[in-house]
Amino acid sequence: MATGDRVDLLERYQHGRHRELGLTDEDVRRMYEVMLLARRLDERMWILNRTGQAPFAISGQGHEAAQVGAAWALDRERDWIYPYYRDVALVLVWGLTPRDLMLQLLGKAADPSSGGRQMPNHFSSRRLRIAPQSSVVGTQIPQAAGTALASKLEGTGAVTLVTFGEGATAQGDFHEGVNFAAIHRLPVIFFCENNGYAISVPAEKELSVPDVADRALGYGIPGVTVDGNDPFEVYRVVREAVERARAGEGPSLIEAKTYRLLAHSSDDDDSTYRPREEVEAWRQRDPLPRLAAYLKEHGLADDADLQALEEQVRQQVDDATEHAQAAPYPRAEHLLDHVTGP
Amino acid sequence: MGGGEGMAQANNPEPGRDGWTGWTPDPPPDLRDEPPERLLEYYRQMQVIRHFEERAAQAYTQGRIGGFLHLANGEEALAVGGLAALEPEDDLITHYRDHGVALARGSDPGRVMAELFGRADGVSGGRGGSMHLADAGRRFWGGHAIVGIHLPIAAGLALAHQYRKEPRVVLCIFGDGATNTGAFHEALNLAATWELPVIFLCQNNLYGMGTAIERAMRVTELHRRGAAYGIPSARINGMRLLEVRAAVASAARWAREGKGPVFLEALTYRYRGHSMADPELYRTKEELKAWRAWDPIQLFAQELLEAGVVTPEALRRADQEAEQVVEAAIAFAEQSPEPDPATLHHGVYRAPLAAALPAGGGNGVGAHLP
Ligand SMILES: Cc1ncc(C[n+]2csc(CCOP(=O)(O)OP(=O)(O)O)c2C)c(N)n1
Ligand SMILES: Cc1ncc(C[n+]2csc(CCOP(=O)(O)OP(=O)(O)O)c2C)c(N)n1
Ligand SMILES: [Mg+2]
Ligand SMILES: [Mg+2]
Repeated sequence: MATGDRVDLLERYQHGRHRELGLTDEDVRRMYEVMLLARRLDERMWILNRTGQAPFAISGQGHEAAQVGAAWALDRERDWIYPYYRDVALVLVWGLTPRDLMLQLLGKAADPSSGGRQMPNHFSSRRLRIAPQSSVVGTQIPQAAGTALASKLEGTGAVTLVTFGEGATAQGDFHEGVNFAAIHRLPVIFFCENNGYAISVPAEKELSVPDVADRALGYGIPGVTVDGNDPFEVYRVVREAVERARAGEGPSLIEAKTYRLLAHSSDDDDSTYRPREEVEAWRQRDPLPRLAAYLKEHGLADDADLQALEEQVRQQVDDATEHAQAAPYPRAEHLLDHVTGP
Repeated sequence: MGGGEGMAQANNPEPGRDGWTGWTPDPPPDLRDEPPERLLEYYRQMQVIRHFEERAAQAYTQGRIGGFLHLANGEEALAVGGLAALEPEDDLITHYRDHGVALARGSDPGRVMAELFGRADGVSGGRGGSMHLADAGRRFWGGHAIVGIHLPIAAGLALAHQYRKEPRVVLCIFGDGATNTGAFHEALNLAATWELPVIFLCQNNLYGMGTAIERAMRVTELHRRGAAYGIPSARINGMRLLEVRAAVASAARWAREGKGPVFLEALTYRYRGHSMADPELYRTKEELKAWRAWDPIQLFAQELLEAGVVTPEALRRADQEAEQVVEAAIAFAEQSPEPDPATLHHGVYRAPLAAALPAGGGNGVGAHLP
């Protein structure tokens, strides 16, 4: 702790955890707004799937605090992200718009990720430094190490954040990517959103250690487990990892423990493998009402503000949906574009 | 959402965190408690391997052996000590540095040498060469040339034993370099999660080809990697035969009792280059000399003599016997015929599959090809 930080510590503490961490009131309101937007967009995606308009839906509901907490610790103007399919809130922070998300969901020509070619939630944007994804679990991990190597060689100071589920940590790609980043002390943050399941397989049947963070032992890098439903704690540990990365001290492995509130995807029935009591218990820990309560408790918003925000978000979601519904599909003669290089 | 609510915590760098068993291998036995004939036999086996590889190297430089040749000079105690701890019905699988392993498992030296020569009587019918020795009758499932690829196979063999409730274990041998492959990670994770009876024996000879371990991984105490999987792990001296035997035996006991895998890191050194084509620019003469002082064969002979359990005369006789075995192996390999080109496609598919294919018939898959 720097001397300056000591001076007003108690005062900041009085104002709430976020002030202790150096987040402004506006930061917290914005975090909540993005989380809410992600949630409502996600809900709409499922409706579009169930009404036969979207071929597939895969959900980030429950993961929003982990994603937003992590995103807030990075520099959106400079850093890279390698998201995975649950990262609706993360890519919103990174600059994809609700319209972008609905265009990609419905496979429309103007989808910025792939012009309507990829499955839903395979986000990317060259302009925003969001690297494209493969459906193959874990492949983004060594790729992120590669981007971090480039940043190191070019001396840009950029940090790469790569996200994945705990299931992905059982893949060989995870091992090769983390090992390589560890040896070369690359500026990359391996961020695991551990929701306890890889589709129907519970974590204790995928992982031989209790925490994904234990894996860090094998690479000689810091491994941290954090409550993924607490955006401030996630922010704190990711910020520390960012500081280490920018200081040339290499990668970190961060495990945010969370839960997906819905089935794995629109093609899954989770009632066959998750007891309803377990899902209900995690609903009680839903990060959204939790942060809403915090906003009210610390006088950052009242009921009327929250209501107004709901209304504003609903309009954004409606607008995005209508925009995407009206947008054209890709043209058949463009089918072979981007298949091979120019 | 107060400060105390978050559950962030720094990772404990010491093994001992949840799931870690604190397992340690048995110490080596006292030499005087072992039957002298057995000790002499270990010595003889190590000498057979050493001579075998020296003669193979000679034949290679004379162009009588083709393909690749990776010698394990310096690693003999691992092969002989490790295999002495197995039961005949246990499984064995290893990487391409496999001559010593095959010989220690009991494969016929003549047939192993014939394989190096690419002859019909070779253990793999002359098709595999040095890197692909195998002996199914002895449950030796091969040398494997792709680094790390046999570790998931070892886990699969162990799954079969677990599934059939047979008290068999799998000994899986690999190098330090292999621990950086994705296959290592997948195999150790699954073996640990499913508690499969595998002994992962890593021969840490400090290099993967010309790459020193510290350039390929940040955790150079390899045995610590086991903690990342919750696997009991230990580092042992791979140059001391009885230490290796004791460690592998205690690991086998653990696995046979259904407690899951064990990861052993054996410190060792290869005295020759990675393969026959290696100018060895990556290490110093001093380093090589220092490790030669740990020569597993010399060390063992010295211990035997000091304990007074064998005579110098007995050791000399064993040396001569070893040379005779190897000379006979060379002679056998040289008189063995080249494989018949008409059998080229044999062994590619199993016969029943072959029969199902058009114009296949018997083992002759591909017979319909021009
Ligand atoms: C290599 C590979 N194996 C299997 C799949 C099928 N698959 C898609 S998502 C998934 C589960 C991944 O679980 P986890 O990494 O925990 O992420 P989560 O979906 O729980 O967020 C699987 C097995 C795949 N896409 N790629
Ligand atoms: C997947 C793969 N990558 C690279 C190679 C080339 N290669 C052959 S042996 C070797 C070194 C392996 O070192 P280690 O596992 O330490 O075994 P050692 O040779 O030291 O016994 C390499 C890189 C290979 N055979 N397979
Ligand atoms: Mg998961
Ligand atoms: Mg090696």
